[in-house]
Amino acid sequence: MKEQFQARMLRVHFGERDTFHEKPLYEAIVSKCKDLGIAGAIVFRGIEGYGTSTRIRHSSHWTLSRDAPIMLSIIDTKEHIDGLLPHLSEMVNEGLIAMSDVEVIRYVRQDDVRPKGA
Amino acid sequence: MLKAGKAVKVSIYIAEGATYHGVPVYSSILDFLFYRGVAGATVLKGMAGFGADHRMHSATLVDISDQLPLKIEFVESREKVDELLGKLEEMAGSGMIELQETTVAKPASVPAKPKEDDHPAHLKIEGKALMMRIYISEQDKWQSKALHLALVEAMRANDIAGVTVYRGILGYGAHHRVHHERTLSLSHDASIMLSAVDSEERIRAFLPIVEQMVEEGLVVLSDVDVIKYAYRARTVEEHPPTDSGQTSA
Repeated sequence: MKEQFQARMLRVHFGERDTFHEKPLYEAIVSKCKDLGIAGAIVFRGIEGYGTSTRIRHSSHWTLSRDAPIMLSIIDTKEHIDGLLPHLSEMVNEGLIAMSDVEVIRYVRQDDVRPKGA
Repeated sequence: MLKAGKAVKVSIYIAEGATYHGVPVYSSILDFLFYRGVAGATVLKGMAGFGADHRMHSATLVDISDQLPLKIEFVESREKVDELLGKLEEMAGSGMIELQETTVAKPASVPAKPKEDDHPAHLKIEGKALMMRIYISEQDKWQSKALHLALVEAMRANDIAGVTVYRGILGYGAHHRVHHERTLSLSHDASIMLSAVDSEERIRAFLPIVEQMVEEGLVVLSDVDVIKYAYRARTVEEHPPTDSGQTSA
């Protein structure tokens, strides 16, 4: 089954060491997204980068205390994303949130059709 | 340039050690023919032979001979041969020159140089383009092959300019099943994102194939501006417009 619709894509950039209530920030955001019923979220770790703090972030295999750049990508309808934004601005102290309009094609297995955005 | 039809084949027989102004004769004759625009010439080295002096020259291991017979052959038009013959006679010294009427059935042709932009179709995709992101799971399969690998192959076969596969460290999708990367486990169930950029029509033409291959997943399309696409340098830089917030792929 295939559905096609206009949606919004959020990308949140911050560091791997950033936390929220003593939990890694990316985990906190992902579980917040789940709570709010956001369709999906995915976290990527970059291998190098710098951001607001102009601190060069590295992802090194040799150190356990790495602070790699993190990019979180969230896609859902405009309404769902709008509902998430206030929570994000509360959780992300230092970072960047980018938003863009996208066209989404969603493929769902015939046997487990779920309502859109759930 | 030599044309098909009547021509003259010139064979010049000399000794290997013979010199012309201190340079081996074969090499000065070859240079002469080259710079006088002869279509082509070949120097052949004989195994054994004898010539005007009736001394036997042969290649044996015990006798490292520098007097082996050499034969220089070239084919040219009658006019060209007549023009060169005087000088050739002088250079050949004691050697023999033979002319033979011949017919060129097919002249050799210069292989066409590959053109700079003689590369598969997607040459210029600078400007407006479409970015396609495909979200799937690492465990998804297509014909018993990992889906993300199969998709990359399919994109290559369909001349999509380029694609990158990203593995997420944490994520969830349609099933609300959390895909988590655990450093100490060899679990291969991460979220995967493929990101490809090409012209709108090429990406849209590829969508039916995605539809066939992706049973479950998300395809996200967005407009981007490609600032630079340089395949020779093997770097593809893509800077989507900042106003739409596309800071990275």
